[in-house]
Amino acid sequence: MEGSPIDIVVFAPLAPLLGVLLFWFIQLLFIESQKYFLNKISHKHPAFCRFTNFLGILFQTICHALGYTVTKSGISEFYISVNYGRVAPKKEKKGIFEWVSNAFLFVGPFFIPAFLTVVILYFFIPDGFSIVTPDQLINLKYTFGGQLTIFGISLFNFANSFFYFLTNLDLLHPAQLGFLFLLIFLGLGIRPSHIGEEKPHKVDMIYELRNIWNLISHKPLYLIILGALVYLIFYISLYLNTSIYVAIFVILGWVSIISIISLFVSHLIIFFIRIVDEIPRFWKYVPIIVLLSSYIIARALFFYFSMHDYVYSTSLFIMLFSTFIVTFLLYRTKSDKFKTIREMKLLKKKTQGDADER
Amino acid sequence: MNGEDLLKNEKLEKVLSPHPLSFMNYQSLCIFLIVWGVLIGWLINFSEWRSFFESEWIVFMVWAIVLLLVGIFASLVTIRWRIFFLYLGVIVSGIGLVLWLGLQKDVGIFIPAYTVLISILGFLIVELYRRSHKYIISNQRLVFKGGIITKQERTLRYDKISDISAKQGVLGQIFGFGTIIPISQSGFGLGADKSFAAGGVQVGEKKAKLMGIFGGGKEVQTPMSRSYFELHGVHPYKEVKKLVEELVQSNVITPYQQEQVSFQKQQVDLQKEMRDLLKTQSQINEEEPAKDSDSPQATKKTEEEQIFGPEQANIQREMKDLLKMRDGSNNNDDFQDEGDS
Repeated sequence: MEGSPIDIVVFAPLAPLLGVLLFWFIQLLFIESQKYFLNKISHKHPAFCRFTNFLGILFQTICHALGYTVTKSGISEFYISVNYGRVAPKKEKKGIFEWVSNAFLFVGPFFIPAFLTVVILYFFIPDGFSIVTPDQLINLKYTFGGQLTIFGISLFNFANSFFYFLTNLDLLHPAQLGFLFLLIFLGLGIRPSHIGEEKPHKVDMIYELRNIWNLISHKPLYLIILGALVYLIFYISLYLNTSIYVAIFVILGWVSIISIISLFVSHLIIFFIRIVDEIPRFWKYVPIIVLLSSYIIARALFFYFSMHDYVYSTSLFIMLFSTFIVTFLLYRTKSDKFKTIREMKLLKKKTQGDADER
Repeated sequence: MNGEDLLKNEKLEKVLSPHPLSFMNYQSLCIFLIVWGVLIGWLINFSEWRSFFESEWIVFMVWAIVLLLVGIFASLVTIRWRIFFLYLGVIVSGIGLVLWLGLQKDVGIFIPAYTVLISILGFLIVELYRRSHKYIISNQRLVFKGGIITKQERTLRYDKISDISAKQGVLGQIFGFGTIIPISQSGFGLGADKSFAAGGVQVGEKKAKLMGIFGGGKEVQTPMSRSYFELHGVHPYKEVKKLVEELVQSNVITPYQQEQVSFQKQQVDLQKEMRDLLKTQSQINEEEPAKDSDSPQATKKTEEEQIFGPEQANIQREMKDLLKMRDGSNNNDDFQDEGDS
């Protein structure tokens, strides 16, 4: 077996774990940025923000309820509103059960809805869900680098298939359109916090991390047991020469990639709303009309002039590009944005000149 | 509401209409028709299963069965069989149109287009119905108006409202609208949810059979009204709810206020009585001023007692003394006030 014993015994199990943590951190940053931009548009679009709040609270309460179900605590109360969600257990269980249900509450919203999306995605790209086995690597299979490589390649396969699927999305296909909506809803609701008029306390990335840290530090023994379990699974997969260990983390990696992509898509939507808000009067509806009509026109065109495999991707490109161009032009011509200092000085001179002539 | 329709001293507080999304229960029926129209169009013309839909009767069957199943499900959930009959009407008229116009060869285009068109028509009717509603909140009453062909109207005075029920769904919470049902003292605004369960049992086999059916029903009183008899889907919900509650509060007499009113009534009666007595006394004084030369008090007493009776005369005297005392104390207060100032 290649690699130093310390590397194999101590460091190798950490590789996929660190990979997942990195993805999760990126996800948290995206969530934080989304909250910032949502706050910016909340005064103009309170209904939209309330909708995102509702999605967030829905995910959170479902995860919490799932936690109580898994720990067999039962659910005595389940309440969801736009501003508040509450799940109460039938039996107050202590110890490991309480810890697990709290873990579901704090960590669940980041992973569980995205996991359900991954399950649905399987029906669209079944080939993308392959996990590299250690046999496929020539050497250094169970070292830190080897494990990280297996993790990375498995994620690359998935990401490749997923991007291909996204760039070839057929928006006239009911199921694919439904998946796009699901992805958008996931991105909008993945943050377990509240945007809007009432802010009972500051809920941000630090708050969420503090919650998780409290969960860990409150019962360090459970964390040690969890860590020991992680190492045990690694040693078992090492003994059986399988990729069970990496597979667990690869699934979490898929979930994180889905979450990051969904957050990216929701960012695009929020940006679009924000820019359209700057365009005055009825002109603000033009980009939305262009967005919808350009895709339909493109698809109708390609119905007669076949583009073979590029019909969907080209249609999507035409839709996004034409919307971008139209929005940019309207933003520049119909609003005060993009008016440079030089242009403004020229305008000022011109108006002064006109006044002097009079 | 025109100025002519306003009552004396009536002031308009708000004129409201239901929120565009407040009739989502009806709109969702139309949304389903659109979705199903687009889906069946895609299935027949573009999907990988399009070869399955080569016969027009298969198209009819699939289209109609899905519509009927959804109709039955929606009817059972909402306990409104009109949804089922509505979808049945859509199916019958759709198939009838195809056969009448001889479009059997073009069902792949006609059926989806017809479904979408019917749903658009449905949207228009729902919108028309929504726009027919008008809720007027004045300082004296609530006026509800609605109905496309038959105009319905309800007027409710605030003092006749015994209870206020309010509800806000998820869409209402997101878009800030909700329904407020004022329940009158007569129970207007209350409906009943009925549920019924029945079961049967068969005892014995072949020749000897004993059949029994048992069942049970439950009726729950719940705030429920037609959209033109309630403040249906009003926006902004919180503001309107607060306004209505305040108006009801200001128009309804509390037990303490009732006590105060009866006390004031007693006071007024007493004062009236006193005024009458004083009037009568002054008339007597004017008529016979000469008679009181020897012993005026004694003569007066006798006359008063003769006219009003000894008890009334005593009360009258006491009241007079009290009035004198009050006047005296008031004068003292006035002097004091002047001194203070």
